[in-house]
Amino acid sequence: MSQPIRNAVTLVVDGREVVAPEGTMVVDAAKMGDIEIPVFCYEPKLGDPVGACRMCLVEIEGIPKLQTACSTPVRDGMVVYTQTDQVKQAQNAVVEFLLVNHPLDCPVCDKGGECPLQDIAMGWGPGKSRMTDPKRHFQKPLELSPLVAIDRERCILCYRCVRFSQEVAEDEQLQLHERGDRSFVGTFDDRPYIAPFHGNIIELCPVGALTTYTYRFRARPWDIEQAGSVCTLCPSQCNVAFTVRDERVMRVLARDNHAVDDGWLCDKGRFGFQMFASEERITEPMMRGGGGELSPVSWEQAIEAAAAGLRRAGASAAALAGGGTGNEEGYLAQRIMREALGSPNIDCSPNSPDPALLAELARPELGAKVADLDYAGAILVLGTDPLHEMPILDLRIRKAARRGGARLLVATERPNALDGGAVVDPVRFAPGESAAFISALAGALGAPGYEDGGSYAKQAAEIAAALSSVPDPVIVWGERLWRDQGAARALHDLARALEMHQRIGTGLLEVPEGANTRGLREAGMLPAGGPGLGPVAAGRDAAAIRDGLAGGEVGALLLLGADPVREYPGGGAWKQALSSSFVVSFALTEDESTAHANVVFPAESHAEKEGTVTHPDGRIQRVRPNVPHPRDVRPTWWALTEISRALGNPLTFGTAEDVFAALCAEVPFYGETAYEEIGGQGLRWQERDPGESWVPGRGGGGPGAAAYGADSAATRPPSESGSGPAYAPTAATPGPRSESEEARGSGLALGSYRDLWASEVTRRNPSLRFLMPTQRLELAAKDAKELGLEDGDPVTVSAGGVSVEARVSVKERMRPGAAFLIEGTESDNGNVLATGSPQRISVEKRAEPESNGSGNGNGRVKIVETPMPAEGAV
Amino acid sequence: MAAAAETRMLFRNIDEPRLASIRTYKRLGGYRAVQKAFKEMAPEQVLKELDDSGLRGRGGAGFSMGKKASFLPRGDMDKYLCCNADESEPGAFKDRELMQKNPHQLIEGIIIAARAAGANRCFIFIRGEYDLQGDILDKAVEEAYDAGLLGSDVLGSGEQVELVVHRGAGAYICGEETALLDSLEGKRGNPRLKPPFPAVQGLYGGPTLINNVETLSNVPHIISSGAEWFKSFGTEESPGTKVVSVSGDVRRPGNYEVELGIQTRKLINGLAGGTVGRRKVKCFFPGGSSSPVLTGEEGLDLPYSFEAMAEAGSMLGSGSIIVCDERTSIVQLALRTARFYHHESCGKCTPCREGTNWTVKMLERMVRGEATPIDLDTVASVQTNIIGHCLCVLGDSMAAPVGSMVEKFRPEFEQALERGVPSLNDRGGAGRGAQRKGREAREEAGHLSMAGGR
Repeated sequence: MSQPIRNAVTLVVDGREVVAPEGTMVVDAAKMGDIEIPVFCYEPKLGDPVGACRMCLVEIEGIPKLQTACSTPVRDGMVVYTQTDQVKQAQNAVVEFLLVNHPLDCPVCDKGGECPLQDIAMGWGPGKSRMTDPKRHFQKPLELSPLVAIDRERCILCYRCVRFSQEVAEDEQLQLHERGDRSFVGTFDDRPYIAPFHGNIIELCPVGALTTYTYRFRARPWDIEQAGSVCTLCPSQCNVAFTVRDERVMRVLARDNHAVDDGWLCDKGRFGFQMFASEERITEPMMRGGGGELSPVSWEQAIEAAAAGLRRAGASAAALAGGGTGNEEGYLAQRIMREALGSPNIDCSPNSPDPALLAELARPELGAKVADLDYAGAILVLGTDPLHEMPILDLRIRKAARRGGARLLVATERPNALDGGAVVDPVRFAPGESAAFISALAGALGAPGYEDGGSYAKQAAEIAAALSSVPDPVIVWGERLWRDQGAARALHDLARALEMHQRIGTGLLEVPEGANTRGLREAGMLPAGGPGLGPVAAGRDAAAIRDGLAGGEVGALLLLGADPVREYPGGGAWKQALSSSFVVSFALTEDESTAHANVVFPAESHAEKEGTVTHPDGRIQRVRPNVPHPRDVRPTWWALTEISRALGNPLTFGTAEDVFAALCAEVPFYGETAYEEIGGQGLRWQERDPGESWVPGRGGGGPGAAAYGADSAATRPPSESGSGPAYAPTAATPGPRSESEEARGSGLALGSYRDLWASEVTRRNPSLRFLMPTQRLELAAKDAKELGLEDGDPVTVSAGGVSVEARVSVKERMRPGAAFLIEGTESDNGNVLATGSPQRISVEKRAEPESNGSGNGNGRVKIVETPMPAEGAV
Repeated sequence: MAAAAETRMLFRNIDEPRLASIRTYKRLGGYRAVQKAFKEMAPEQVLKELDDSGLRGRGGAGFSMGKKASFLPRGDMDKYLCCNADESEPGAFKDRELMQKNPHQLIEGIIIAARAAGANRCFIFIRGEYDLQGDILDKAVEEAYDAGLLGSDVLGSGEQVELVVHRGAGAYICGEETALLDSLEGKRGNPRLKPPFPAVQGLYGGPTLINNVETLSNVPHIISSGAEWFKSFGTEESPGTKVVSVSGDVRRPGNYEVELGIQTRKLINGLAGGTVGRRKVKCFFPGGSSSPVLTGEEGLDLPYSFEAMAEAGSMLGSGSIIVCDERTSIVQLALRTARFYHHESCGKCTPCREGTNWTVKMLERMVRGEATPIDLDTVASVQTNIIGHCLCVLGDSMAAPVGSMVEKFRPEFEQALERGVPSLNDRGGAGRGAQRKGREAREEAGHLSMAGGR
């Protein structure tokens, strides 16, 4: 379905004429006329109104009974009264009823001072209590989850948390038990409510019934300040408001931005603030001394040392950015590399996108924005698991399927959190075989140069039918598809075949692996792409940098928020590469890469940083400083300009804003965006100046010029590009049909994924530590059976002479023959086996450590490897 | 004492042995209406006949059945029919007898109504406590399937009508039509916000017609004998007959089928035999425990019809009369009524959840003699604060009768403020009275006899 066109209707609220779009609820329309109607249960984010609290009763002319303003849509000529005696009596009554069982413990309640019940009781209540009987009692507070406490006495049973759990997060864990005034919110069998978005219920609660252990009794509303910023812990880039007390972040709240996050936060973003003021933060520059220990040094010393090391490497230096690195920092880092050192070795992800194709895919008319999902007729989730990679997108897709009626399609290598909602059986391609599936899909959609066939033909035909049956499909795809030769190209071609470039509300949305990958790419942190994705002399990508470091061809490495040892494929090789090289690292806390760094600079958290990031859909957003830098932490952009100056390339920037202006001057499609223009909600560059904005960066000719001929579509305005395919697939085959025979070999095909919680953030925030996953090997039931393994069995997983220990996790909807490990676990990191190219693993059962050694007698049982199942056996 | 007589339409053969079997039912003329509806009439004609008959819903609201059925959109979507057999209102037991003794009359009515509404999937939602009646219906439905009256090809017409008997789990609220739908869908039985009304968006989101057992049992008679014939019974605004459950302080409690509009006195004093010992009727609930009480003086001479009861400030509701004679303590009666609704409130909306709870607490103090004069005003105003402010009518169902009791018997409440009221009435001695005392003692100890304990 497409976005409905809503006509304006005129109604009268308390004598005031109000114009509101058709379908608006009276309560929202009244707001447009500056009239507040009190509500408790109404929260449009949760879906259809339920009309349970009865707080919003109003009088509507022509209807004898009072109506709930939250559930009554406006009609033209409607006359609403919110102040009559009848309405006031109802409002008084409801407030009085709500307080019948609500304890009068406001002085010790965390919500006191920012409590809707307090406010509404003051504004619309009778002001006096007639209740003399005892109130109901519950044991309190109880642990609803390790992070959330529930006080059932304070609960006014508005259902918001239960609706969130059932209709937004769809984890269905929260339920209302019992009935009548004995009702209470809880989980089945009092199990802890563990779910990745459950922190949202704290913010939804209109009373102090749900509070978090990280904020309880730590501040009162009159000694805190709220300040807005953007969370840069993942590509969702949710808009947040930090609650600051005494220059410390005490809490993270959502700052509703429909275009980005719909007002929700994941628990990582919500509770990942304790690390800001952690003792474990790096708060001053450090250098590795003769004894191999990092010890504090002055900024001057550190800058001098870093510059010296980089200068020695010269054109053989390299830079990698990741994490929450902002656009300005990326821009400065690439200038240091390209201008001061003459080095083209720059990257911001392990996935090496083809620069010309990347520029093609960045074209405004091919891109979908987050809000397009709401009205998409179909959504294909391709090669990504949003829950782990961009959590808020998972909620958005669920919403689209549940409320927007989008037909959900899933095609991934690993079982996906969204599988359950898929309308067609989810497609499971083998690890590393995405190109075969996507090419088959492109063929099924009639993209020129692709064959309609192959082992995925049937599944591709089903997905293609669903995609082409609606005018506005959106494809959400994972950055990792760049790893599979031909996958991204096939994706581009099938998008053209679907005519996505000719319609609005449809397009592609890439889920990057880094929080600001899009911004870093556009700032020029690419081996073959300068600012604005313009063509530049090609350098080494991440993998080549690693090999260069190991082989001595790359002399030094600058790391900006990147931790390749932990996060990039081939962690073992990275470790070796770093240990023998000169490494400068900007890091928040010590990580697996700083362990090999020679100079370590303290990085800024997103609560301290001034700068911009770019959302995966092109929205430039501002990160703003909310708390001062702890101890001797200084702005990263400043440190980078200092390093550049020490290298003899002075960059005269006085503020982060100056850097952003310089960046915009080099990125044509950012234009002359001013800080003010970005504002609190961000600014999508594609929408800023449609039709004119898409001009690639310096160097002219366009990024596609070299690869795809002089008449590159990339330089033409988008309006013309509709006349034909922007570029035809080259003579090369549209990607491998399947893995080569030698890689096929025997054993299970190894895939890996980034678990939401397998990260440094989890480790550095005490409240989240319980979520840190340990390594597990995901297997299909069939394979586990053949290997004689059961769920929970300890195993050793080996490939190429390297092994990790894991526990078996038998999963449904796994493709037989595939196995998955987690990347980024604290120990037994899966990335030492998953090196980025197809791997076969052998699995060996271990004896249960220590306890019950009885299981397998003398322990090590060699499990015979299984051959790969025949194609199409899925 | 006026002579009183029943007018039996639904109860015509009610005492026939083995009426519950399809053979007996057919022998006595059953399933002829359904033949007529499927072979001689188009669905529109069936609907028109029902609409013309003026049949009003017998479940409580009294809404025109034909109108309700005509609200269902035409078209090809899946449509549903639900028979509400969750008869849980204190005082009502008419559906039980109709289902137990004449299940095929109901099934025939469902099949015809399904044709009128274009529904092909039908459910009977029967309260869990009606175990025997559930079994009887199960058997009757099986017989109807075997006879080709239900299934994918009803009477060879090519029309599909499926019927499933679903047993509730014992919540009064599931008799509310939208809560019934939620419960039937496997969810917690909570009422839904209206609009959308079930006729537009009901079971599984499809258009749904919901009717009471007695309403549907009327359908075969209307179809076989015509709307005009049907309208010759009852009053202009309340055509037809009504099965009335009479209970309380009467000598012959039971179900009586009468023409609507009969003088109430004839029902209570005539058919039900009047009070024991010709005691004065202090008050009575004219339409189940959710209807405001009428005193004997104001109510006994009224015609028993939807319009007359509404005019008197009460309602006909499900047509269940509970008679209280002069010995009854109104304060205890109010408490008992409030306790039932407090126990059954689903808790979804604020006024009902908290209002029923608060009312019970205040009335409990009153019967203990621990209340203050302010409490009496508070009780009255809490009832006013509940009425019209709730999501469904359950809150009103307590507030209306309790409010009417406070209004009509205020001196009795004032007396209670001083002395309390130990029991429902002053009946002492052995036999039934002693039994009652024992039950009240249990109630005082916190057991709620009306809901079968907890």
